Amino acid sequence: MHRILYLIQKEFRQILRQRAYLGLIFIMPFLQIVVLGFAITTDVKNVPITIVDEDHSAMSRRLVDAFSVTQSFDFQGLSQSSNQAKEVMKRGLVKLILHIPPDFEKDLKNNVHPKVQAIVDGVDGNTAGIALAYVNQIAVKLQQEWYSEMGLHPEELLEVHLTEVETRMAYNAALESVNNIVPGILAVLLMAVTAFLTGMSIVREKEIGTLEQLMVTPIQNIELVLGKVVPMLVVAFLLFNVGMLGAGLIFGLWMKGNLFSLYLMLVFFCLSTLGLGIFASTIAKTQQQAMFIAWFFMVFAILLSGFFVPIENMPDFIQMITYLNPVRYFMVVIREIYLKGTEIQFLWKEGLAMLVFGLVTFISASLRFHKRLN
Amino acid sequence: MIPIVINNLKKSYGAVQAVKGVSFEVEVGEVFGLIGPDGAGKTTIIRTLVSLLDPDEGEIIFMGKNVIGNTKFVRSNIGYMPQRFSLYRDLTVEENLRFFGDLFKVSTDVQDKLMKKLYAFSKLAPFKNRRAEALSGGMKQKLALSCMLMHQPKVIVLDEPTFGVDPVSRSEFWDILKSLAHEGTSVLVSTAYMDEAELCDKIALMFQGNFLALDKPDKLLQSYEFPLYLIETDQVHTAYNKLYKLEEFSDCNLFGNGLHVSDKNNYGEAGIKGILDKKQVEYKSVHRIEADLEDIFLKLIKDGSETSGREQR
Repeated sequence: MHRILYLIQKEFRQILRQRAYLGLIFIMPFLQIVVLGFAITTDVKNVPITIVDEDHSAMSRRLVDAFSVTQSFDFQGLSQSSNQAKEVMKRGLVKLILHIPPDFEKDLKNNVHPKVQAIVDGVDGNTAGIALAYVNQIAVKLQQEWYSEMGLHPEELLEVHLTEVETRMAYNAALESVNNIVPGILAVLLMAVTAFLTGMSIVREKEIGTLEQLMVTPIQNIELVLGKVVPMLVVAFLLFNVGMLGAGLIFGLWMKGNLFSLYLMLVFFCLSTLGLGIFASTIAKTQQQAMFIAWFFMVFAILLSGFFVPIENMPDFIQMITYLNPVRYFMVVIREIYLKGTEIQFLWKEGLAMLVFGLVTFISASLRFHKRLN
Repeated sequence: MIPIVINNLKKSYGAVQAVKGVSFEVEVGEVFGLIGPDGAGKTTIIRTLVSLLDPDEGEIIFMGKNVIGNTKFVRSNIGYMPQRFSLYRDLTVEENLRFFGDLFKVSTDVQDKLMKKLYAFSKLAPFKNRRAEALSGGMKQKLALSCMLMHQPKVIVLDEPTFGVDPVSRSEFWDILKSLAHEGTSVLVSTAYMDEAELCDKIALMFQGNFLALDKPDKLLQSYEFPLYLIETDQVHTAYNKLYKLEEFSDCNLFGNGLHVSDKNNYGEAGIKGILDKKQVEYKSVHRIEADLEDIFLKLIKDGSETSGREQR
């Protein structure tokens, strides 16, 4: 048991002597949160739009006005015809075309549902979807105004649905993506640090040859593994806290839930990422290889975690695969605890899943780690 | 009890037979040298002995116990210095020493005493707070040696410990090894340097997984059967290309100072000069020299390949 302490002591001495590590712990989380928090945004702003107005009525003009004043759209002027508008889109000058048909005002007044056509450049699917949702919102709002001007009863007003009713976002009312992104970044950082650094620090000893020296001592496998893993867990823990501090200071996004619940979940989660690091170190001969192996798994884990793309949007069989991904659970847990302050008892399923995956990964990776060279 | 006994050790990596059945013993207080070029199988023998590799065949007895099945015993009692410099570069000299002492659960008092002694012979005391990466090559090797002595092993195994170290540090390093052996430590050391081979009590000349010879260095030196001549010339390569094709000079080797030629037919100095003149080989001088281990090694390799060649035919 004492030997583990000596190994940990040695590991910390080494960590403290490498400026790169200290930078990693204290600068990286801040940088990532600032840069990615601002950059990775699913809020759609300034979508270039052109409008074809074939009605030239008061109402169609109000529609045009509504679209030209909002921040979501960048009004590029009217197009004379549908063909001209499509040409403009082809040249990439606009991403959205709104086509107001003739008799728009008349139909509206006669209570015939007029149809406004929206054509979206679907190359960037995410933006397209969100832009369309904005179009609907604006249209619904306008319609409600018009109907109330026309003296309709409030009950009748409720019946007005051009398309979908606006969804109100709970806990992220402004639908500001930074709220979702920042906890996600924390999860990814945690994963990167534990999986990469564990793998690399073991392989570094392989490269220098100290591992061979360590093998010919009475240290046991498990001592060697724990001696590596515990310091990395501490580093990850520090980094995570620095990251939370950064999120609070920069985005005013402070943790809502119980800190210790989150810490507990963090340990469960890190079992699998540390396991991944150890696994990578058992295959790799050089630090680069270890990084590549860890990276290979991480890309899948992050993409299939619900960080960027909601899991519900994935094909069924991919959704099944995501159940095997510990990051998926941690992404839920950290967002729930961080943004909503959800109590830990409501997250026991995710916690259990992470614990099981963590133990399986960690133990099997440790068993692969032999004190032999064969 | 003989500290190391190895019997008919065989080890392959896939299709490559790295060690093809070697046997030897290392006695108490003996410096045993495994001598041979890279790829001869020295490291493989050492790694199987320290339980890092499993042998395919054969028996390895360490201090009376079979290495297989007694891994923990071996690892607790052997001192092992791997081929590469393998200390923590970002730890200081003292931290490295303490770390290895701690791993073997050596008490602090004992560590203090040992370190005093180790500093005395390694002369590292003035650098004890210096990081290992800032030491010279020779000092690094001495530190590595000191680290592996922190648990006072009775048997130490060193894999090419002086590789890439300057000659002065090498000779200092060997002085330490000799004095350790003198105190009763058994030393198994591998090296590719022939001059170091002569410092061992007993050596095995290794080539392609086999022992070509196993004896005391001076016995081996006496075993060279023909007179040996050194031909000094400015055009060693031309001379070599002309001579090695001749039956009587087939044992002819390139050395730094000229050609070493084995005089199988007892021509003597005058006779050799006559042949050189006849073959129009330019030379500055021809004189008799004593064979060193390198000559013996090259001859054994040549004899070996001729025998196996004949067998194949």
